[in-house]
Amino acid sequence: MNIAQLLNGLALGSLLMILSSGLAMIYGLRGVMNFAHGALYMSGAYLAYTVTNHVSFWAALIVCPLALAVIGAVLELVFFRHLQTRSHIEVGLITFGLALIIERIIGIIWGPHTLPVPAPDVLNGTSNVFGTAYPTYRLFILAIAVVMAAALVFWLRVSDTGLHIRAASQDGETSAILGINVDRVSLTVVCLGAALAGLAGTLAAPYFSVQPGMGMAILINVLIVVVVGGVGSLGGAMAAGMALGIVQTVGAVWLPNLAALLPYIALVAVLAWRPTGFAGKRV
Amino acid sequence: MTSVLEFRGVNASYDGAVVLQDVTFAIDDGETVGLVGRNGAGKSTALLSVYAVPTVTGDIAIDGKIISGRRYEPAALGVCLVPQGKRILPNLTVTENLHLGRAAKRSGIWNIDTVFDLFPNLARGAKRSGIALSGGEQQMLAIGRALMANPRLLMLDEPTEGLAPVIIDQLVEALRKVQSGGTSLLLVEQRIGMIQQLATRYLALRKGLLVSEGGISDLDKRDVQEMIAL
Repeated sequence: MNIAQLLNGLALGSLLMILSSGLAMIYGLRGVMNFAHGALYMSGAYLAYTVTNHVSFWAALIVCPLALAVIGAVLELVFFRHLQTRSHIEVGLITFGLALIIERIIGIIWGPHTLPVPAPDVLNGTSNVFGTAYPTYRLFILAIAVVMAAALVFWLRVSDTGLHIRAASQDGETSAILGINVDRVSLTVVCLGAALAGLAGTLAAPYFSVQPGMGMAILINVLIVVVVGGVGSLGGAMAAGMALGIVQTVGAVWLPNLAALLPYIALVAVLAWRPTGFAGKRV
Repeated sequence: MTSVLEFRGVNASYDGAVVLQDVTFAIDDGETVGLVGRNGAGKSTALLSVYAVPTVTGDIAIDGKIISGRRYEPAALGVCLVPQGKRILPNLTVTENLHLGRAAKRSGIWNIDTVFDLFPNLARGAKRSGIALSGGEQQMLAIGRALMANPRLLMLDEPTEGLAPVIIDQLVEALRKVQSGGTSLLLVEQRIGMIQQLATRYLALRKGLLVSEGGISDLDKRDVQEMIAL
């Protein structure tokens, strides 16, 4: 394995980490496996295409997560809050339906074609990493993921809101009895999770291009990350996202015939060995 | 005089199964009341009704204000619960569990230092995970966590369940200190002796109905004993 392959794995892992962090937090708090998370990521990418064309990529990096946070608020207030007493399967199916609706709306607005999103000039070209020329934009993705992860963990560990999120993820009823406004905490988490999906979509736009079906394609990997990391565990999702990115990228080089199967093999192996996933505890 | 907590014709049910029927009582400022009855009488449901955990009809008022059924509101109004089974949050440290009590945003004499003074064991294990504590220490943590909200009424559900006599004595002593600060107590407890040590009045539930109430000395009467089958 050379440096470039490792960095490719880390760049892909970074996107999976950002995306799966949001999904893990929403599951940890609401107990909802949000199958619309891939569609939110896709919305972020298409929105980034438009904002980049009309303003700039830097504006997209701010506008898209904020716009997705608003969509997250709608998801929470219109769906998750009212469906919290329904079974997980019912809510999961509803989010799957929402994913299909969102993808169809995107198709109607932006059309069926693949759309290119250029990286900003300052991030074009390559940088020297231990003697290897490597695309600067992918290093940028890696840096954003590291900053996001550090900020998220710091916020959850140090702030009162973070403490309330960790408490409500473990026991919502006791948290409410203690005076924690669990509905407000939940709104914060779903908005943040959706914003992270928007951030991942924006970052992915210049990396993969923007295309129909990109949401469903990445959703499978993100679900594997969340299950392998330990359903509802933020730290587990971050570690598993990075690990899966490396496994997929390196596997494509060393085991090209098996590369597509590696995430599923990893899923089966981890669940057979440790059914609760790596972390086995929530947020 | 306005009661800290008042039930007026309260009915409570879980998935249609009625647990409390037409229960009416009031707890005044500064008093300690024992809520007694055999298992399944509806004691815990009565406490949880304050937080709308079961489906509740009738009126529950705190300081005369009828609460709206939002679970987080009673703590902010000064009515706090030490739930049965302690319900310590296992992935949080002792200090973090205690800080959760501040969510009610109430000020008063109770803070992390005064809680550690009341329960020195907690101070010694401040950075340990809540679930790593002994049963007695977890109960102290559950009480300390509720005190951090500076409650006017502290409701305790079976606080001595599963604890050794020496720990129970420590808890009684701690609750006396809480009483001396003017906090009202509503105590659900199978150990009648503990209620007699702390309370001035009792309420008795049987099959979801409030069947008897009176001064604490009446708890020794044969007809009361038979009614609640302690």
